[in-house]
Amino acid sequence: MSNIYANSYAIVFVFLCLGVLLPVGALTLGRWLRPHVPSEAKETTYESGNNPFHDSRIQFQVRYYLFALLFVIFDVETVFFYPWAVVYDQLGLFAFVEMVLFITLLALGLIYAWKKKVLRWM
Amino acid sequence: MNDVWQSDWSLMTPEWIVLAVAVVLLLIDVAMPDERSRRPLAWGAALGAVLALGATAALIPAEPASILHGTFRLDSFAKAFKLLLLAGGALALLIVAGWNPKEGSRYGGEFAYLLLFALLGAMMTASSGDLLTLFVSVELLTVSSYILAGLRKTVAASNEAALKYVINGGIATAVMLFGMSYVFGLTGTTNLNEIARRLQETNEPYMLALAFLLLLIGVSFKLAAVPFHMWAPDVYEGAPVPATAFFAVVSKTAGFVLLLRLLVTMFAAAPAEGRDPSSLLLSMQPAIAVLAGLTMIIGSVVALRQRSLKRLLAYSSIAHAGYLLAGFAAMSWAMIDSLWIYLLAYLLMNMGAFAIVSHIVDETGSDDWDGLTGLYRHRPLLAAALGLFLLSLAGIPGTAGFIAKLHLFIGLVVTEPGHYVLAAVMAITTVISYVYYFNLIVQLFFRPLFSSAPLGRMSAGLSAAVVLCALGTLALGWAPGLAYNVLAQFDHFGDFLP
Repeated sequence: MSNIYANSYAIVFVFLCLGVLLPVGALTLGRWLRPHVPSEAKETTYESGNNPFHDSRIQFQVRYYLFALLFVIFDVETVFFYPWAVVYDQLGLFAFVEMVLFITLLALGLIYAWKKKVLRWM
Repeated sequence: MNDVWQSDWSLMTPEWIVLAVAVVLLLIDVAMPDERSRRPLAWGAALGAVLALGATAALIPAEPASILHGTFRLDSFAKAFKLLLLAGGALALLIVAGWNPKEGSRYGGEFAYLLLFALLGAMMTASSGDLLTLFVSVELLTVSSYILAGLRKTVAASNEAALKYVINGGIATAVMLFGMSYVFGLTGTTNLNEIARRLQETNEPYMLALAFLLLLIGVSFKLAAVPFHMWAPDVYEGAPVPATAFFAVVSKTAGFVLLLRLLVTMFAAAPAEGRDPSSLLLSMQPAIAVLAGLTMIIGSVVALRQRSLKRLLAYSSIAHAGYLLAGFAAMSWAMIDSLWIYLLAYLLMNMGAFAIVSHIVDETGSDDWDGLTGLYRHRPLLAAALGLFLLSLAGIPGTAGFIAKLHLFIGLVVTEPGHYVLAAVMAITTVISYVYYFNLIVQLFFRPLFSSAPLGRMSAGLSAAVVLCALGTLALGWAPGLAYNVLAQFDHFGDFLP
């Protein structure tokens, strides 16, 4: 038991070492192998082919954060719904009741957000 | 799935009441027009907590039982500590009902039902029989607490408190969860009783000791035990006073519930390295004792330099957590009884003190102790009540604090071998704590009036909390038999361990 447990952690340790060493090794190796000829065009920010236009440090609308939060909640809801729907026949009534409770709680949250004017773009 | 329908759901009556009241209050709050006062909601929440308290009291004669595959247990331990949690929650809600901050509050409704949700988490912690339910209920308590700490949205200190609380609480949760993962890895189950049974058969003292220490550190963060206490004074100072009272009393009680449920249930019978001592829990006594000693010393010494009432009470609550940890480290046969009595006394005296501090902060706009100076001259009754709570916090005979401390002290010296060092540290730090408690009493009674404007009338909620706490503190000090009678119903928590 002890051996299995400790050995499993040895594998984790090996992966940790690999994870640290691989990028370090690859980047160092690349540095030695590649030619080093800098030019102005090469030093611009990579934007998938577009020319970068203004400073990247701009203020984002903080409102997006609330939408993101709501999105995550309903995204997770869907994630819970799929497996439940797939095995619905075997789970029976109790799982149905549980899901109704779950949706009710989420609906309460939505009502709260709605009344607190989170959904309104101001 | 049939057994789920046939479970005895009545065991969860107190939890159902708290949940239902919280949800109804949320709906009412959302439907109410913005300009209406939210104070009735806090009263409703307090009423809900009292109803749940009654339901818990009605459940006391019930046989110990568990439902939902052993994840929810209603044993004497759960009943006893739910009484404390609900009483603390009800008093905190009375303080919320009397809360009237200078900057005004748009979030009185949120305050009431978030506090109820936090209370629900604390109650579920007391009843958990499974690592998963334990973790989820502790998170319900702490996540609600983070929001409570930041409810004064326009005040920078409150925002800072919430942020510090989230970060420190997150670290604590991560450490605790890591410890749980080791236990799960060794046993392959999350049921606490099953874990305790399987751990007796394993022979992994080092792995288990690591898991134990990780869990102990995680819980110490929640208890604000030294050296994991740095967040507490800032959070206590920045949070609204009713929330501070809730953290200091209910969250701390829940932390000790977690400590007992988690560490004692799982590790009391687990084998340790070597033959003697025979149990991992007993072999870890020195670690807990060091934690307790440090917490007592640092808590009381740093409190000497505080002028802010909230910070002072924060450090005082750290010192009290140290006394409680010392009682836990002693592991006498009456450990849970003495912790229960101490937490009861701590609840009464701290809630009373916080109710008065809440009034002073609301009236003067600051929590400097100047607000107390010469209070006796124009509000003699209020000063007398605060004096009583301070005497009780110091542990002077005739108050609840004395009886409770006596129990912990006796627990430390009657065990074999006795914990004389811890007992000495406890005695010395108690004497140190006299300095700052009596300083406040001198300010209250023997100094001329500092502020020109007298304090306004106390609101009904605060007055009710102060009167209840003062009566309780006196009653427990002069007739501790009242508490013993309640405890006698639990029969020394014989059904705590499987």
